[in-house]
Amino acid sequence: MNEVKNKFISHHIGSLLKEIFGSGTGIITFIGAAILIFFVILAIFAPQIAPYDPTVRVSRSLKPPSDEFIFGTDNLGRDVLSRVIYGARIALTIAFIAVLIAAAIGIPLGLISGYIGGILDRIITLIMDAIYSFPGLILAIAIAAVLGPGILNIAISIAVVYAPTYYRVIRNQVASIKDELYVEAARAIGARNIVILLRYILPNVLPSVVVVLSMNLADAIMTEAGLSFLGLGIAPPTPDWGFDLSNGQRFVLSKAWWGLLYPGLAIITVVLGFSMFSEGVNEYLNPTIKEKR
Amino acid sequence: MSLKNYILTRILLAVPMIIILLAFIFLILRIIPGDPVLAMLGGKAPKEVIEQKRHELGLDKPLPIQFFDYFFGLFKGDFGKSTLTGRPVLDELKERFPATVELTLFAFVIAVLIGIFGGTEAAKRKDKLPDVLARFFAIFMYAIPIFWFGLMLQLLFGVMLRWLPVAGRISPAIQFEPITGLYIIDSLLRGNWKAFVDVVKHLIMPGTALGLVISSIFLRMVRNNMVLVLSKDFVKAAIARGIENKSVLYRHALKNALVPIMTVMGMQLALLLAGAVLTETTFSWPGLGSYLVLKIRYRDFPAIQGAVVFFAIIVVVISIFVDIINAIVDPRVRY
Repeated sequence: MNEVKNKFISHHIGSLLKEIFGSGTGIITFIGAAILIFFVILAIFAPQIAPYDPTVRVSRSLKPPSDEFIFGTDNLGRDVLSRVIYGARIALTIAFIAVLIAAAIGIPLGLISGYIGGILDRIITLIMDAIYSFPGLILAIAIAAVLGPGILNIAISIAVVYAPTYYRVIRNQVASIKDELYVEAARAIGARNIVILLRYILPNVLPSVVVVLSMNLADAIMTEAGLSFLGLGIAPPTPDWGFDLSNGQRFVLSKAWWGLLYPGLAIITVVLGFSMFSEGVNEYLNPTIKEKR
Repeated sequence: MSLKNYILTRILLAVPMIIILLAFIFLILRIIPGDPVLAMLGGKAPKEVIEQKRHELGLDKPLPIQFFDYFFGLFKGDFGKSTLTGRPVLDELKERFPATVELTLFAFVIAVLIGIFGGTEAAKRKDKLPDVLARFFAIFMYAIPIFWFGLMLQLLFGVMLRWLPVAGRISPAIQFEPITGLYIIDSLLRGNWKAFVDVVKHLIMPGTALGLVISSIFLRMVRNNMVLVLSKDFVKAAIARGIENKSVLYRHALKNALVPIMTVMGMQLALLLAGAVLTETTFSWPGLGSYLVLKIRYRDFPAIQGAVVFFAIIVVVISIFVDIINAIVDPRVRY
């Protein structure tokens, strides 16, 4: 999520990486998984790994990197390394919750809309298209501004932006398989609609849901970083990469490059990790949703 | 379908889109936890004052009525009043818009130039060094948060090398009366050379940061489309006729490759005009994006709503234009 592109970052990066590595998707997936596992471990074991408490002053302000503080200290004298490690918690938590909520909104609507069709389908599609066409970050900002800070609130703001993606994928797939023979057979033996939807149709669209989920994570990370950079994330002093960069201009003016460099590198690495991993998932599940832009 | 009919249909189709977007924005900003009036007046205001304010703002009416009031207000150019400044939101937006336009156009030109030339070169030498470099460039630009990129540029060019200013549109020391609000044009119209240099200096860093990040999208699209077009028969025929390489590339192939890309470029322009929020915040650029962030900080909900609605209108209007231009260039588009 940079302003301009907060949808399908993974997809773009993934296809580029595939060009570079040729057909060797295995290695991309492996590196991606390694990066992700690394950051998940950082997030879970942050109290054990981080050398200092990320929220308290441990030294004088803006100390350059040294043996004592490998990544230096920030403007409030807090250890940058510890803040980067703890920052993985917020970033990953919000990203995961956000994509799950997006899926929880998009999937049921997609199922119903695709299966029932008709005027209801038209209306839901129109609404979803309207949301989809709107600049994602602005939408997330507006919702976050209303809901206020907090992990769940930020996750919801991000989820609303991405729900239409799930909706589109599911709706189109359901619309195309609801006339398949096995669905008709189920209907012929008297299965109720709800049973047909959940037992016959849902399992067939789940693989593409997994692909979209995994691709969506990088987007969610970017959007979260952007929101918290704007001060719409979780409340300070909780460590958060985007929020730590919102102090940026102070670091710039005092030439404290270490305060900028490391949170930014963390965001970039995680985005790349998710992109690589999702490219592997994409390949493995071999979905029918290839034609994204 | 004739062009005229197409344009008419396209405009009519945009109407439900606009209504839905407006309703959506309206609803979102009405689910504010707590009361907008309380937020405005503070928790300790007496009950009568609160009631009176509610009545003044029309908040005691049923929700659908409120929406219709707001909707028809928009038609009359009434975007509501800022609770922070008490001024009409539309006036404030109009003041801010030129800054966003200037930044956007600068960034857009950079992005298009890099996209077209870089993409064409990469396609010409497919899988060779330029193509590989272009890929790494694009990956980097996709994975990078723009505010971080902007801050790093500020650190390098603003503070360490001291080449460019790190924030704002113009130095406060420079006396200068704007005409159109686009400072580059204004400074030239006034013949104020010093102001012109200052304005350009302020524009270079945010414009380039934004332009580079968007260029990756264009670069990839141009490259992929060019690879496709270069394998077509008419290109081979042109080469066989002995037409110069450069001419084949830039006149015959590019023209065909650009048609599908134009839509994406147009939409990108719309998204940018809807406030490059992060770039503007990073560089303290006084445009629409930083306006939105400022108003959010003060919980000025009428202004937030006005700004978001303004963005929605920009996006829809530009997308109509893009489709129409597309229909003129490529008659197959007209349904």
